[in-house]
Amino acid sequence: MPTRPTTRTRPATTSNGVGYHWNWGIFWEMSPEGTGTYLDMIVQGLRMTLITAALAWVIAFIVGSAIGVLRTLPGRMAPLAASAWIELFRNMPLLVQLFLWYFVFPEILPAAWGIWLKQLPAAAFLTAVIGIGFFMSARVAVQVASGIEALPQGQRAAATALGLTPAQTYRYVLLPMAYRIVLPPLTSELLNTVKNTSVALTIGLAELTARARAVQEFSFQVFEAFTAATLAYLVINLLATMAARWLEARVRVPGYGRA
Amino acid sequence: MSEPVIQIEHVTKSYGTGGPVLRDVSLTVAGGEVVVVCGPSGSGKSTLIKCVNALEPIQGGRIVVGGQDLGDRRVDLPRLRARVGMVFQHFELFPHMRVLDNLCLAQTKVLGRPRAEAETRAMALLDRVGLHAFAEKHPGQLSGGQQQRVAIARALAMDPMVMLFDEATSALDPEMVSEVLDVMVELARSGMTMMVVTHEMGFARKVAHRVVFMDQGQIAEDAPTQAFFEAPRSERAQQFLSKILTY
Amino acid sequence: MSQFDFEIIHRSLSYLFFEGMRFTLTLTLLSALGGVILGTLLAMARMAGGPVLAACAAGYVNLVRPLPLVLVIFWFYFLVPYLGQWLTGASRPIHVGGFASALITFIVFEAAYFSEIMRAGIGSIPRGQAAAATALGLTYRQSMRYVILPQVFRIMLPVLLTQTIVLFQDTSLVYVLSITDFLGAASKIAQRDGRLVEMYSFAALVYFIMSFTASQGVRTLRARVAVPR
Repeated sequence: MPTRPTTRTRPATTSNGVGYHWNWGIFWEMSPEGTGTYLDMIVQGLRMTLITAALAWVIAFIVGSAIGVLRTLPGRMAPLAASAWIELFRNMPLLVQLFLWYFVFPEILPAAWGIWLKQLPAAAFLTAVIGIGFFMSARVAVQVASGIEALPQGQRAAATALGLTPAQTYRYVLLPMAYRIVLPPLTSELLNTVKNTSVALTIGLAELTARARAVQEFSFQVFEAFTAATLAYLVINLLATMAARWLEARVRVPGYGRA
Repeated sequence: MSEPVIQIEHVTKSYGTGGPVLRDVSLTVAGGEVVVVCGPSGSGKSTLIKCVNALEPIQGGRIVVGGQDLGDRRVDLPRLRARVGMVFQHFELFPHMRVLDNLCLAQTKVLGRPRAEAETRAMALLDRVGLHAFAEKHPGQLSGGQQQRVAIARALAMDPMVMLFDEATSALDPEMVSEVLDVMVELARSGMTMMVVTHEMGFARKVAHRVVFMDQGQIAEDAPTQAFFEAPRSERAQQFLSKILTY
Repeated sequence: MSQFDFEIIHRSLSYLFFEGMRFTLTLTLLSALGGVILGTLLAMARMAGGPVLAACAAGYVNLVRPLPLVLVIFWFYFLVPYLGQWLTGASRPIHVGGFASALITFIVFEAAYFSEIMRAGIGSIPRGQAAAATALGLTYRQSMRYVILPQVFRIMLPVLLTQTIVLFQDTSLVYVLSITDFLGAASKIAQRDGRLVEMYSFAALVYFIMSFTASQGVRTLRARVAVPR
């Protein structure tokens, strides 16, 4: 059975013993991959991180919202099912979940499907999107459910009394306020999604941290490579935070939350 | 009196494992009638009015609204509720929607009215409760009394066959109570069928046809307004009145 | 799919737990302890330090929190030998073992998260408590030591423990350094014997049972702690 390449680290050794030689010019040198400069490698990694995180977030947001809603439905079965989903995905390390999707899932499918899956050209990418998406969905679900539970009980009663169906009640009354309330924690879950894409380097996804590692392995300029990746993550964080502030101001309800 | 709009027959209800909240309650509200339900807190009056709109399930008896049995699985509850207006203690306007959108939501989504028609109806009702100028505001920008008047208009926009009021003035600052009561009185005089849970005995005297007194999950007295205030038959109602009217 | 081989799991149990899980739990507990101490110091520096110290502490937290743990693990793996050289004045980067490197990484990384928890905790104590302590003649250190922090730890204990469960799961990321933690041990056997399905399923099950049990325990604790006040 084939084992897939994982990014593993050799002990840190440098060719010279005396201190570290900085070389920021490294980014403008051609990489041995022959597809561009070292800077291009970082940019490709950044692009992969953003695409993976964006798609994983779409899954996390949709599935997480659905599970969060289930958790707040009346009755016993729906909340129980939602809790099971949340506990399942919250109590295993993301890395282990990715291994389950990548190594175990294709094996437990009917043989033909498993082989088809393993031969997909973007297997690592798809695994990362689905694995991180489901992992984050449990966290989004917790936030969405807490947002709904933070609303006064009477809101649901009022919507029901007006003749709205449960689906309409969630769509027009409960969710618009719940999302507003949990916008700040959802923003940090979005940023966690970006950070978590780095875990997918273990299944060979060429995301930002993996590319920084590759730059380091080719060029031995370890600290320049990691500094570039670090700056990229900080910029992502800054931009996302600013976007969230803007969104919060935009959807703020006039007169709501006054003391 | 005309056809009954609400028929409550031998209803019992309890929450979870606790004791019964409603015990063999029977009550009829006829078309055009204004019935005030009063009683000490915990007497079950709020629970009863929520049952009329099927917001709370009942364990025994039956409730018929507009000729439709709430316990009948074939009854389209959302459709029926749309024709039963309800006003809550804490207003329960939808905070993220403008006042106008609060009034139009159920008209368009439940009754299927075109948006323009819904807006026309909404503006007319805002005019009726004196809040025409506030259509574009959000609920958080209104006072409590104004919010409750909007909530009444929101319920009226559905052209209800009956209006239910669940302690509509008890969360209000004292100076705002009368503006809401004025709207309710005007509504009563226009011939609307109303079931009103309230402590406002002045309102009851003014417009109620009957007063129902509840205590410990039971109806202790159900009498025409004048008779209730002048000569309550049950001892518990006498005590209640003496406490509430001494001030 | 070939038959699920329970025998391979049975044969590797002692390696998985006495080598792997022992490493994982040691790393988790020491990191949590170090992280809480460093995090508390950071929180105090931010809330009561001078402007420079407060800015440094805030900068540290705001630098670490946007970074993925995997990147921080790599950073320290390569950085620690140089830091050691600088600290000891050695002539070349000193050799640091995988455990020490991982421990330093997790303390430094988790401290940023623990400091936010402690900051929220200190902020939740009524101001009158500090005022009362000062009025009694206690110094800042004494009032923190005897009055404020004991209350904070009690209130925030469930949150600190929940973060420690997250930390427990996060230690699996030392996999990227080829260290034999629990997942590393499972992975080594999986690859040696070509038994990925068995070993990774078993690892997932063990992580799930431990995390789930611990989080249920925290939930019970939360319910018990929540009553007074």
